[in-house]
Amino acid sequence: MNAMTPLPGLRKGFPFLLLPTYLGTANRAKRREKGDAVRSVVFGLIAVGVAATLFAVSFWLTWQLTDYEELGEYLLRLGISWLFLTFLSFLAFSALVTSLSTFFLSEDLKLLLAAPIPGTRLFYSRYARTLLQASWMVLAFLTPVLLGIGLARCAPSSYYVTVPLVLAPFVVIPVAFGCIVTLMLVNVFPAKRARDILMLTGLLFAVAIVMLLRFIRPERLLSVRSLPDITAFFATLQSPITPLLPSFWAGEATFAPLMNRTGWLYLAALWTTALASTLIARMAYGLLYFEGFSKSQEARKARFSRLAFMDRMAGWLPLSASSRALLLKDVKIFMRDSTQWSQLLLLMALVAVYLYNFSVLDLDRIPYMGRVVRNAYAFVNLAMASFVLSSIAVRFVFPAVSMESTSFWILRTSPVSMGSFLWSKFATGFVPVVFFATFLTVVANQMLGVHPFLKVLTAVAVVFMSLALVGLAAGLGAQYPRFGAENVNQIAGSYGGVVFMVSAVAFICVEIAMLAWPTSIFLFYDFRNIPVPTPRRIAMVVGIGAAFSLSVAVFQVSMRRGIRALTALAG
Amino acid sequence: MITVKDIRKRYGSFDAVNGVSIQVPSGEIHGFLGPNGAGKTTTIRMIAGLLKPTSGSINIDGADLALEPEKAKAALGFVPDRPFIYEKLTAFEFLKFCGGLYGMEGPALDARALELLDLFELTRWKDELIEAFSHGMKQRVVMCSAFLHHPKAVLVDEPMVGLDPRGARLIKDIFRVMAKKGVSILMSTHTLEVAQEMCDYVRIILGGKIIAEGTVSEVLSMAGEGHEALTPVFLKLTGGSGFQEIPDAI
Repeated sequence: MNAMTPLPGLRKGFPFLLLPTYLGTANRAKRREKGDAVRSVVFGLIAVGVAATLFAVSFWLTWQLTDYEELGEYLLRLGISWLFLTFLSFLAFSALVTSLSTFFLSEDLKLLLAAPIPGTRLFYSRYARTLLQASWMVLAFLTPVLLGIGLARCAPSSYYVTVPLVLAPFVVIPVAFGCIVTLMLVNVFPAKRARDILMLTGLLFAVAIVMLLRFIRPERLLSVRSLPDITAFFATLQSPITPLLPSFWAGEATFAPLMNRTGWLYLAALWTTALASTLIARMAYGLLYFEGFSKSQEARKARFSRLAFMDRMAGWLPLSASSRALLLKDVKIFMRDSTQWSQLLLLMALVAVYLYNFSVLDLDRIPYMGRVVRNAYAFVNLAMASFVLSSIAVRFVFPAVSMESTSFWILRTSPVSMGSFLWSKFATGFVPVVFFATFLTVVANQMLGVHPFLKVLTAVAVVFMSLALVGLAAGLGAQYPRFGAENVNQIAGSYGGVVFMVSAVAFICVEIAMLAWPTSIFLFYDFRNIPVPTPRRIAMVVGIGAAFSLSVAVFQVSMRRGIRALTALAG
Repeated sequence: MITVKDIRKRYGSFDAVNGVSIQVPSGEIHGFLGPNGAGKTTTIRMIAGLLKPTSGSINIDGADLALEPEKAKAALGFVPDRPFIYEKLTAFEFLKFCGGLYGMEGPALDARALELLDLFELTRWKDELIEAFSHGMKQRVVMCSAFLHHPKAVLVDEPMVGLDPRGARLIKDIFRVMAKKGVSILMSTHTLEVAQEMCDYVRIILGGKIIAEGTVSEVLSMAGEGHEALTPVFLKLTGGSGFQEIPDAI
């Protein structure tokens, strides 16, 4: 082992630094794990379905607009501008969060920074990684949409050449901006604190956008009665579109070939800005990176809420010491992890919009059908609440066992049975979920003004469905744990997560079908103001009882299997 | 050789490392000892180029780490306390990637990687994903990657953690051979027996400052009373054992 003259550092270009990602993906594909094929098929079909829907919607809308000549062209131009404006902000935010991870928090940086790699190559490799991670979703979304527009307008071939030339610099600009801001931010705040701040800001921004878009009530466009308001509506839509933003250039450059023109000026603006912003990002990297990376290695100060009131509250609950300890641990970890609880903000906003929809629903416009539609909506509402409940369960309850991760040994070596452990996970998820789902169902039904029988039935049904879905999530989470997962999304998107979602959808459909039959009997007689005959009443009770029994059975079987799987794992 | 002059690392008002100077000449093995939180890993990370010192200078094989980072890092082999490895790569792929980072390529790199895998008894598993390896095997892969480019200086943070007695013996032998061939080795460890057995010179750090340094016999004599092992000396110099309260606590 001679101590030879040191070899020079990395000779190859920056793509060499992306090799582990490529090789890792290739190795993963070669060595398939259980459920990979099922997951690929399910997600592949979902992706194709979403792309086809996007294509069909954009094609149909653009096709409809061709009937309105100049107004149609104006609306299409406005629509494309809004499309790019929305994605510009999405990309900028996504780049901020992604670059924090790629430039500062990735574990492999400790290996790479100790190696003799020229700074510019490390920059370009991380920049390329940020670009890919932050923009693939936008590109996957924009491609079918822009394809639909082009085909509906019978666009010339120049359109299909222009679109990639627009998209490439369009995604680079916000990503460069995100990287620059992150480089500056990490020099002020520790990286992990900066990530929390960004996540929270982004979520609040998303909440504001969702609420704004809903509260300007775009459905007014379809109503002749609101014609005088339409000018104001368009003025509102036009206001954020400014020629100073790259989204405007991208919109104009995309729109131009549809009119058989070429937006050279806009293309030039996009490309020069993309190149300049990349150079500025590289300069910022040179000036700020190492200082920022050093700071990101510093331990974050343990500033946190002690949540002492929770200890007191848990003390009042009739629980064993071990159950209380498990409950407190789960709740405190949840409250201290901003990536967990902040997602509830977005959920609250979606619920507010969902309920708002019922408040502005004008069912009196169809006087003869209003009562039927209203009662049918009660079931739609029950199904929607159950789907929301399933999404919450797959995101928060299903990963609960896997989240124990490397700390699972503490439980396995302690005198806590796996049954108590899983029951604790179930209870922690069930209590908030059942309150939330019942609130959603009761309030929406109240706003709709459905029949009192349906109000009671759906309120009770949603409690049983919460029991089944939370039990299913906890049980399957225990049967398919992913202790090695890097984050919650990886656990939720695993084979077990897909099994849960498929099972949950099947359960919701069967349960609602089982409840719909006795309800239809009741409404049939109620509509005619005839009392329900006794044999029919018995049939109704049996039907409803069977539906509720199904919920209990799903809950019990899932929990039993989960406990058995955990016991086998511990044994 | 490794030369560190008066480096400091300040976090807000807290000095994690306060004026540490180290010199490891070619062919010597130096130990860097200290209790938890004394500043060992912070110092090592600064020498490896992972942390920017608040002040002071670091020089590896004649290259200033701040001015010529690539040249300095090219001469250094670094084994961190908690190493990162790409778990989805095979051991051989990982070593080829690490070789590429140090400008190695082609058949020479393949041969060198295979040579080290053989030395560390990993040849059988060279095409297995690293995620399937035990902790000790991963540690050996990291050692392979650190020695791949024939470093002139080696920086090791806790080298024996996770290694079985055979692996530990192998590492000790390798360090001795490397030192004989002129490599400077700076080793941080809690295993005082290893430091006593291997090191030509030891430094003890406490509260970010070097509180004792010298050859093993010089450090032993600092504590007086004719100690023969480093452990009681270490405990005496770093502030006692705290053992007196244990019976009640247990």
